[in-house]
Amino acid sequence: MATLEINDLHARVAEEDGERILRGVDLTVESGEIHALMGPNGSGKSTTAKVIAGHPAYEVTDGEILLHLDEADVADIDEDIDEADYTWNLLELEPNERAALGIFLGFQYPAEIEGVTMTNFLRQAINAKHEEREELFEDEEAEADADEDEDAGYDSSPMEGPTDEGEIGVAEFQQLLSEKMELLDMDEKFMQRYLNAGFSGGEKKQNEVLQAAMLEPAVAVLDEIDSGLDIDRLQDVAKGINALRDEQGTGVLQITHYQRILDYVEPDHVHIMLDGEVVKSGDAELAEQLEDKGYDWVREEVYEAA
Amino acid sequence: MSVQVPASISAETVERIAEERDEPEWLLETRLAALEALEDLDLPDVIQTPGNRWTDLESLDFESLVDPLNQADATERSEDTDAVVLPFTEALEEYGDLIEANFGSVLDPQENYLTALSVALFTTGTFVYVPEGVDAEDVTVRAEMNSRSLFSQTLVVTEESSSVTILEGIETGDDVEGERYFSNLVEVAAGENSHVQFGSLQNLDEETYTYALKRGVTDTYATINWIEGNLGSRLTRSDIETDLDGDGSESQIVGAFFGHEDQHFDINARVWHRAENTTADLVTRGVLDDEARSVYEGVQDVGQDAWNTSSYQRENTLMLSDDAEADASPKLIIHNHDTEASHSATVGQVDAEDLFYMESRTIDPITARNMLVEGFFVPVLEEIAVDEFREDLEALVGERLR
Repeated sequence: MATLEINDLHARVAEEDGERILRGVDLTVESGEIHALMGPNGSGKSTTAKVIAGHPAYEVTDGEILLHLDEADVADIDEDIDEADYTWNLLELEPNERAALGIFLGFQYPAEIEGVTMTNFLRQAINAKHEEREELFEDEEAEADADEDEDAGYDSSPMEGPTDEGEIGVAEFQQLLSEKMELLDMDEKFMQRYLNAGFSGGEKKQNEVLQAAMLEPAVAVLDEIDSGLDIDRLQDVAKGINALRDEQGTGVLQITHYQRILDYVEPDHVHIMLDGEVVKSGDAELAEQLEDKGYDWVREEVYEAA
Repeated sequence: MSVQVPASISAETVERIAEERDEPEWLLETRLAALEALEDLDLPDVIQTPGNRWTDLESLDFESLVDPLNQADATERSEDTDAVVLPFTEALEEYGDLIEANFGSVLDPQENYLTALSVALFTTGTFVYVPEGVDAEDVTVRAEMNSRSLFSQTLVVTEESSSVTILEGIETGDDVEGERYFSNLVEVAAGENSHVQFGSLQNLDEETYTYALKRGVTDTYATINWIEGNLGSRLTRSDIETDLDGDGSESQIVGAFFGHEDQHFDINARVWHRAENTTADLVTRGVLDDEARSVYEGVQDVGQDAWNTSSYQRENTLMLSDDAEADASPKLIIHNHDTEASHSATVGQVDAEDLFYMESRTIDPITARNMLVEGFFVPVLEEIAVDEFREDLEALVGERLR
């Protein structure tokens, strides 16, 4: 069970006199929960997502983002786990380290990368995750010992080469991939294509969910994963998101403009952002109320209360 | 402005080179004429932008770079092919008439100062001849430069309906203290309906100044495809050119370069459409790290009589460092309206959003950058039909990555 805990998060655009966008965001997402984060354009939803993942364009000026893990989350680690290894201050970590700990960002506009095939990319990512986790949880004393050992000579004959037990095998990778692609109703031809290059909007969004399924994150932040999808693809994507939760226990923070996807991915919690803060939280019913009454209703309520 | 003729070179020098090789009279005369012309010849044109003359050929000190009588190379040429593949000087005995008829017909020795110097002094090179109707096996030429200066002259003659792929690799062999100069002239005379692919991979040490001019002429329905990979040398000036002289002839020029430290690349691809129904495709991609610099010029010149021309050009430079510099000039000159053409060039940095996307999938920044660079070369690699050559280029790119 992992918990992503955001406390009083303030962030601005990382440049001189950069615009203040987040003005005290509080939000907690646990494994296995589905949260919808809604709000008008410019309220700070996408910025929240990017700051969680560590986008360099934003500077955090106050607050914290913590990731709490439990034993099940570190079951793959061979090292002894210290008490301190169960809570991570994400703001101190690089984007790739955050990802290795189990943070996934599904992009609103995924990058198109020419010349890097989907297969190559996903295998690299899965292997990198494994390696990075080993490093993050490596005991520093043990690390120093290991260095000494290396200086002392080889444990095994150098002819045997490095032992790559951590690397995912080709067959294992292919099988995992086939399963996930079938679930998302994706054509296997995708795998020989270059990463998102020439993909339609819908294909890119499916691909984001596929990557989440392959990387098995603790918490997936999905930024407008439903925008621009036709109804068939929306259902495929919804099926994929539900599977993330049901089969891998991923916590999902889904940023959306539209009630529509919530018919297929029922949220446990709904949050509404206004002007850089989460101003109102509730259950699925809140999204329906919002659909009927619009953001002005929220605005009025919030300002009256204040 | 002409350049001083180095004092180390005289008619006697040239005569001695020719004599040692027992060369025919016509070649000695061609060499001497080139030597004599040096005084009046200029260096090749270089790109100038406001406040910046990109490649400073004037500062090449030929006085110290050129050591004409001590040229040395170790060159391996594949033998198991139906094509005639011989060291240039050995070929003269048996194929003298054929060589005489073609030498300088594509590339005028007195084109500029550097070509004339090269013709006057060359001691190595290859002659490739593919007789009518022969589909030759791939020809490989692996050259090692073992001296301060080396001048090489290659001639390729293909007869009607023949085909050949020539793959040239150039590296540094013995260490020589100080700076070096390598000159590589290549002429290709592609006969009617023949098909020539000429690939070159230059990876000389970074104290070498390299000048390469490769030019081909196509007869009717002939094809000349060039691949030019440059990773080595301190300074490289490379000109790859095709004269589309025959109706229905084609040419592709594929280029790749990857510079680091203070390497300098002056890369040029040019094609002249002089006949009907000709096609050209120019594709170059380059990556610059550290303080490396590149300047690219691509020319598609569509002549008055070049009806129904198709001509495409694209060049992209990717910069990995804020200290790298690049300039690109794609030029399209059209004198015949019946032309379908495109030309584009871009110079850009690694995209920060691409990097962040990859990092958000756990890939560390250096691996991500390397994957982007390898990916960047893929469109060029995909144009290379010869597996071995593509793998060699990929390997050199891989070595250059951090």
